[in-house]
Amino acid sequence: METSSAALGYAPLRDPAGPVHDEHGPPEANRSSRVDAQFLGMLLFIISEVMLFGAFFTAYFFIRVVGGAEWPAQGTELPVAIAGVNTAILISSSFTMHWALESAKAENRAGMRVGLLLTLLLGATFLCIQINEYVHLDFGPASSAQGTIFYGLTGLHGAHVAVGLLLLLFATIRAFRGHFSPTEHRGVEVPGIYWHFVDVMWIVVFATIYIL
Amino acid sequence: MTTVGRFRAPGWWRALLYMPIGVALSLGLVVGTRALIGKPEIFDGAAITTVALFIVPFAFLIGIGCFDYWFRWASGAPTVPEDHSGHGADSWRDYFRVNTDHKVIGIQYICTTFVFFILGGLMAMLIRMELLAPGRQLVDPNTYNSLFSVHASLMIFLFIIPVFAGIANYVIPLMIGAPDMAFPRLNALSFWLLPVAGVMMLASYLAPGGAFATGWTAYAPLSTEMPLGQNFFTIAVQFAGASSIATALNFLVTIITMRAPGMTFFRMPLLVWANFSTSLLVVIATPFIAGSQFMVLLDRAIGADFFNPGGNGDVLMYQHIFWFYSHPAVYIMMLPGFGIVSEVVTANARKPIFGYRMMAFSLLAIVVLGFTVWAHHMFVSGMFSWLRIPMMITTLLIAVPTGIKIFSWLATLWRGVIHLTTPMLFALGFITMFTLGGISGIMLGMIPVVIHVSDSYFVVAHIHYVLFGGSVFTIFAGIYFWFPKMTGRMYDETLGKLHFWLSFVFFNLTFGPMHLVGIDGMPRRVADYADQFATLNAIISVSSFLFGLSFLIFLYNMIASWRFGPAAEANPWRAKTLEWQVTSPPPRFNFDEIPTIVGGPYEYGVPGAVHGVFREKSKAVPVGASAGMRGE
Amino acid sequence: MAEEKTETGARSRPEDRAAPGKGTGHPIGRMFLIGSIASAIGVAGVLLIDWFPVQASAGAEDVDLLYDVTLIVAIPIFVLVMAVAIYSVVRFRARPGDMRDGAPIHGNARLEVVWVAIPAVIVCGLAAYAWVVLDEIEAREPDSLQVSVRAQQFAWSFQYPQPGGRPVESEELVLPAGRQVNFTINAVDVIHSMWIPAFRIKQDAVPGIQTETRAVPIRAGRYDVICTELCGAGHSTMRQNVRVLPPSEFDRWLAGQRGAAGASGGAAARTETGAQTGARTPLQVGAQG
Ligand code: HEA
Ligand code: HEA
Ligand code: CUA
Ligand SMILES: [Cu+2]
Repeated sequence: METSSAALGYAPLRDPAGPVHDEHGPPEANRSSRVDAQFLGMLLFIISEVMLFGAFFTAYFFIRVVGGAEWPAQGTELPVAIAGVNTAILISSSFTMHWALESAKAENRAGMRVGLLLTLLLGATFLCIQINEYVHLDFGPASSAQGTIFYGLTGLHGAHVAVGLLLLLFATIRAFRGHFSPTEHRGVEVPGIYWHFVDVMWIVVFATIYIL
Repeated sequence: MTTVGRFRAPGWWRALLYMPIGVALSLGLVVGTRALIGKPEIFDGAAITTVALFIVPFAFLIGIGCFDYWFRWASGAPTVPEDHSGHGADSWRDYFRVNTDHKVIGIQYICTTFVFFILGGLMAMLIRMELLAPGRQLVDPNTYNSLFSVHASLMIFLFIIPVFAGIANYVIPLMIGAPDMAFPRLNALSFWLLPVAGVMMLASYLAPGGAFATGWTAYAPLSTEMPLGQNFFTIAVQFAGASSIATALNFLVTIITMRAPGMTFFRMPLLVWANFSTSLLVVIATPFIAGSQFMVLLDRAIGADFFNPGGNGDVLMYQHIFWFYSHPAVYIMMLPGFGIVSEVVTANARKPIFGYRMMAFSLLAIVVLGFTVWAHHMFVSGMFSWLRIPMMITTLLIAVPTGIKIFSWLATLWRGVIHLTTPMLFALGFITMFTLGGISGIMLGMIPVVIHVSDSYFVVAHIHYVLFGGSVFTIFAGIYFWFPKMTGRMYDETLGKLHFWLSFVFFNLTFGPMHLVGIDGMPRRVADYADQFATLNAIISVSSFLFGLSFLIFLYNMIASWRFGPAAEANPWRAKTLEWQVTSPPPRFNFDEIPTIVGGPYEYGVPGAVHGVFREKSKAVPVGASAGMRGE
Repeated sequence: MAEEKTETGARSRPEDRAAPGKGTGHPIGRMFLIGSIASAIGVAGVLLIDWFPVQASAGAEDVDLLYDVTLIVAIPIFVLVMAVAIYSVVRFRARPGDMRDGAPIHGNARLEVVWVAIPAVIVCGLAAYAWVVLDEIEAREPDSLQVSVRAQQFAWSFQYPQPGGRPVESEELVLPAGRQVNFTINAVDVIHSMWIPAFRIKQDAVPGIQTETRAVPIRAGRYDVICTELCGAGHSTMRQNVRVLPPSEFDRWLAGQRGAAGASGGAAARTETGAQTGARTPLQVGAQG
């Protein structure tokens, strides 16, 4: 790659009227939509995330509905109660997240920080319980397609929780370092959207895997 | 720079430093984990390689500097005020670092993807050498299988899809009157993911057992059983896919939120529409191939049972998930080309595009229909037999929106003033050759026919008619068309035309006869074939070598013209869209001020019609160079 | 066509009327004529090409006819596209230095409806026809011969279930002419696909499920059985023969096989190369093809 582009790259690519243009920064872009760019970007990202889950739900559909496999696999059991508690924990973290954002908007710094910290804590608890569940289950991802689907979907979701926690961690660090104000709180809002998405996704996963 | 400074500043030195660290990390991770969970075999080369395939690319990306800004941002440190130091290019060196200028990124994309095209094409030459005569010529069957697998994977994931993203990257912000893309740093990251994916695919040749050899479709359970090289494909596709998704998201946000004042959706040039539609496809469909390859990887790495019939898994499920992406992917590889052809045809026929709105709507129709036809790749797979007829009908219906486009281009030619420039020749070549490829697609869509020709050379012929005669011809058209804009220099018309005619002739001689051998019973993906096909295959092979050589003309033309070509005007085609209203190459920040859009993009022949004006200057003065051109 | 509607708007090319090209008659009429001739030649040429392998099954003729009909529909479409493109380039090409613009025609609703409607009708017709043919070639006939096909890397084997006995196993596919054969197909390891070009049938062999296809051989002879799904290094050598025999000979062959199976007293009785099936010997099989 290097050599060829180097060979191609000799031409003087400077703008003939370069210095004149280079002196100023970019012109302000026109805002052709009321929707905020970062917000829209996150929304589109979530769409593609939904589709990624869609691929795994397709697998679920093929194994369980088309293939008619027993669910859960014969001789195994899913800890519905623990998962239910875990669901409650994750859902409540959505509320703390919302509170953090409202506090940021209302210039309630303490509220924002506590809200973020609580969300982080609840999310981490969720993950820990999930991992604990994995350790104690009597089947593994390689024992049958049902097990594969179970670990595939919950694991994919778990990975999303982890990413969400990372984003929240950034927001928390920034919150403690004095960022965010009633006018500039996208750094809380955008990870927040992602977090809510992770929550909603969990409800779907929980319903299909544990309940149905 | 001091030696230490070199290794601390973002760039190649740091990347070179971080990559071995990434290897060490992978090794530690695998050995550590295996020791922890008490596996007997602590040192597992395949596992280490697999983990390294994820970690080393990130080490490279961090080293080269893709994440510097975000790390600072995430840690809450005061981010450096934007000084635009990472923006724009002053020398060729600036093309080899993380750059946030969409114009630089566009050129990075195009050059990188053409390198992969050449590599993929040379593999095709090896394929044709092996098939020159029956029997073994050159390579053993396993190597042969890996040759066409890597050939197709490079062509699809590292040439066609990203080169369109590259052209669009350069042109779209200019076309819609934006100073850059919405997320310039994400844009840079999407570019740097590409060489990672490409090098990984090529590196698979180094893996024990050879490169991946399961075709670009990597059907399970073959792909879950093949040696380590398959992991290189599985993981490289994740990187290429991530790059696609990030770019598509960027395009969508840019197009939605950053259009110049007055540019309503129905005043957007059709290339913008095309990339808008494509990006929708990418955002929605690409996660499915990511999912399918994750599943393959899980089956391979931890013995999961997605595709293992012995463990209740479902083999055909792979194909459903794969084609739910990969059929839309063929439109991802074609719609941007439709956009390019619209631009080229209208500018060179000096006529408004015929039926602008239908052109835009037909793109959206293809997007929607494209999601309803995936199983036409599975007509003989043994899937649900009730799904075949509905899929056949939707498949054939795609001829309708595609036909709208073909006929509208033809109507645009009608009563125009046609300038047969090189881009126009390629556009015309595309219109005719794509029609042929589309018609063979329609035949493939008819179940009784496809039962006979599926997985034969008829399909290979279809592939290359739509992908070479279709996509690649539009890419050539686009490169020639925007070459003066991108480089500020003019290419050589005579050589361009020569390139077209040689390509056109040898293209047909190479891929035309494949229809015949296919129908007559020659399967695809074989290193050896029955004697009855010897003559035609010899013709195909010889033509393909000449076809390959004709590319050298293009290469020479591009390199020589970039260095020594005559300076290009701002608007050599007298086109109306915004990118032609700034200098060639455009100023660092595209526009001194954002123009205002007052009319459609293709108002050729309409007296007094203007697409955009600069607000602050006099209201009525049309922008830039077209001002001088008007009134003739 | 398009320009008739917007005649008044087309003021930028006044001399269009004055210089109506060479020849006489309406340009579209002329184009139509040339197009028809080209289509006729194209169709004739294409029908003359011997595209297909021999027709050795009852369905082959239907499939070939469907294919020919598609070509007859498709060639005029391609010729239309070519003709308009070439005609426009010849007729409307800019002379050197010609800096004018074309007629500012933005569209024509009637024309656009036409080119949505006609292709829609054509493809619906083709779909309907294809459906009919599909039903025909897949129709079950009573008294069909049952053959199970087993695919593995990189060889085929065939079983003929015998009522009240062990199935007869064979390395070679032998079929009676004139009787429908019902293939049930499965795969041992990875996906394969059984293609018999002379029968125009193809069906994947998928591990874990059983797939089906059927054909009525009508011509005695020896034809190829080809694997058309990439199945590993030996994919290109995974070939076999199908031998179609007159019914009486087939019965004799089957009886012989049964006898051989009985004589050796085991399930593993096979024809010539039989003993080696367990061990994968792809190249040997390929050598026969
Ligand atoms: C750029 C990429 C591209 C494009 C645009 C297309 C377009 C189409 N393709 Fe193709 N296709 C591929 C790339 C592409 N394909 C590839 C790579 C494969 C092989 C994958 C593999 O297995 O490796 C494949 C395989 C493939 C198959 C599976 C074959 C098999 O493996 O068994 C089928 C079956 O239906 C098919 C159909 C179609 C159809 C109906 C269209 C339609 O969209 C075409 C529509 C266009 C026209 C019809 C022409 C213009 C229209 C008119 C002029 C109007 C009038 C026309 C009529 C009334 C007919 N394609
Ligand atoms: C965009 C996609 C694209 C492009 C551009 C090409 C380009 C070419 N392809 Fe490929 N091809 C595919 C996509 C593409 N292909 C796909 C998807 C498959 C299916 C794979 C599968 O089954 O999984 C396939 C499969 C495929 C096969 C079938 C293999 C098989 O089934 O066994 C063949 C065989 O002839 C082939 C040939 C060629 C040739 C001759 C070219 C030529 O056009 C290449 C020309 C380019 C060059 C030659 C390089 C540049 C030239 C130079 C640097 C000059 C020097 C040249 C010489 C020394 C001669 N391709
Ligand atoms: Cu068996 Cu290919
Ligand atoms: Cu398709």
